[in-house]
Amino acid sequence: MTILGTALGMVFYLLQVVSGESGYAQNGDFEDAELDDYSFSCYSQLEVDGPQHLLSCAFEDPDVNSTNLEFEICEGLLEVKCLNFSKLQETYFIKTKKFLLIGDSTICVKLGGKHITCQKLNIVKRVKPEAPFDVKVIYREEANEFVVTFNTSHLQKKYVKDLLHEVVYRLEKNENDWMHVNISSTKLTLLQRKLQPNAMYEIKVRSIPNTNYFEGFWSEWSPSSHFRTPENNSGKMDPVLLIISIVSFFSVALMVILACVLWKKRIKPIVWPSLPDHKKTLEQLCKKPKKNLNVSFNPESFLDCQIHKVDGIQARDEAEAFLQDTFPPQLDDSEKQRLGGGVQGLNWPSQHAVITPKTFGGESPLRCLSGSVTVCDVPVIPSSRPPDCREGGKNGPHVYQGLLLGAGTTNSTLPHLFPFQSGILTLNPAVQGQPLFTSLGSSQEEAYVTMSSFYQNQ
Amino acid sequence: MFHVSFRYIFGIPPLILVLLPVASSDCDIEGKDGKEYQNVLMISIDELGEFIRTERNLDSSPGLNTRFTDSMIEIDSNCLNNESNFFKKHSCDDNKEPLFLNRAARKMRQFLKMNISEDFNLHLARVSQGTLKLLNCTTKGKGRKPPSLGEAQPTKNLEENKSLKEQKKQNDLCFLKILLQKIKTCWNKILRDAKEH
Repeated sequence: MTILGTALGMVFYLLQVVSGESGYAQNGDFEDAELDDYSFSCYSQLEVDGPQHLLSCAFEDPDVNSTNLEFEICEGLLEVKCLNFSKLQETYFIKTKKFLLIGDSTICVKLGGKHITCQKLNIVKRVKPEAPFDVKVIYREEANEFVVTFNTSHLQKKYVKDLLHEVVYRLEKNENDWMHVNISSTKLTLLQRKLQPNAMYEIKVRSIPNTNYFEGFWSEWSPSSHFRTPENNSGKMDPVLLIISIVSFFSVALMVILACVLWKKRIKPIVWPSLPDHKKTLEQLCKKPKKNLNVSFNPESFLDCQIHKVDGIQARDEAEAFLQDTFPPQLDDSEKQRLGGGVQGLNWPSQHAVITPKTFGGESPLRCLSGSVTVCDVPVIPSSRPPDCREGGKNGPHVYQGLLLGAGTTNSTLPHLFPFQSGILTLNPAVQGQPLFTSLGSSQEEAYVTMSSFYQNQ
Repeated sequence: MFHVSFRYIFGIPPLILVLLPVASSDCDIEGKDGKEYQNVLMISIDELGEFIRTERNLDSSPGLNTRFTDSMIEIDSNCLNNESNFFKKHSCDDNKEPLFLNRAARKMRQFLKMNISEDFNLHLARVSQGTLKLLNCTTKGKGRKPPSLGEAQPTKNLEENKSLKEQKKQNDLCFLKILLQKIKTCWNKILRDAKEH
């Protein structure tokens, strides 16, 4: 048994050694230097002639003497085991429908029936599409663009239908300055503004399989097509745009200058009206008393003064007429009585009412009136206070503000006075006894002097 | 002692070799991503459907249309299911998809002798051979001759013979149509299961 086992072992060893020197290399990975010369590459074209496919192979070394060399493909075929290539000059090809298109095939170089070198390859991974054709360029004037269309035979094929197309174009005078665009459809749009005007362009296309199963190489380039870009007609529009832009610029500049010039006087008061400073306004309004004056709003300080009640305030005819002309609806009698009563209730000496018309902006359009009413320049101070009046406390009633007129007023002065809702009119103490009347004009709000009435245009 | 070792050396390994095919799976499916099926096999199956429709001279009315869809089987009212035993015995059940495809691909070979056209045979061979290649099955009886469709019976009447032949052809085409549809359905099932996992 030992001898038998040893004999068997030796037989197996010899078999292995012999088979190692058989020389059949599946992958063409011979270390023999001569076999490198027979390296070859192949590409396939599916459905190139109806349902027939084409497989082409050629030696990578052009100096190979291919006189007696043959190519053979085995495996990956339908109904047959192997097929032989045909030879056309230095290229070997086979045109058949019998490719399985699944799995690998083995392609061998034979010399005298003996396999020299073999290569395993997958036909579907070496697909070279047919070159596109019929490249056309159409200019669309309304859209200012060029529409590039081309055709490819793969649109009607069953297997390799999805391709990636590379479109390249250049100015004819620029030798190697090609622009590249990759698309998957057979239509491309080039914008006119991206091309030079009045120039001649050259354009061509090639394709490569773009599926997850079929792969391969770029096809040959399509025949070149030429097109000329039109002259730049949009130049006519440029002067118009230029004029419009210049006019706009100057308009804006003018507006800026005007804004700067008129800022302080006109624009700022409207945009950012200044709030009246009550203290300053009052200071402006109220001048220093020439004589000893005790200004007080406390009616108790005026107990010694002769107070005229305003019950019987009667306007003179002239004043009434004037007031009717200048003031919108005259107050009703009830209103007047109310006002009169209000005035009486306040126990405020009417002669201390002060009117400060708005127009008294430092000027004195009104002249002092004789008689019971005196309208003084701004600041108007209650100068009519009799010296025997005491200064009152601070807790006094509201300053009853109203426009009180007495005798002696003239029409010419009153218009300046009455535009305002309220005011304070100084009264001449000499005419304390004379009745005063209120003519508040349009509204009761004129009886109240608001601080805003002191606002003067600055 | 030596006799015992001989028994174990020369007795058991052959037994293992015999029993191994029974225990192991027959087929190992390649191409579960569906690339080969969608780009090659499905095209040939659709082409065969067109051939069958042309051969059977069917019009394009919906009831008699033989175009295959993935979701339904177009029932041909004229299709006689005389070999339904095959479909009763073999179906694309769960975990039996490779086995069904293997048998179906082998069954398709018998239609090569119909000689409808060269392209028809090529598409038929592509579906059959391509399926078997993707299944990568270790088959028994590899060199078995495909079963024939049946020999022509010598008849006395020539016209009767011709009519029988025509009828048989129609039946074979009908069976082939259903077989192709089931192959398509089974492949879709395999790919769907592969995506889910």
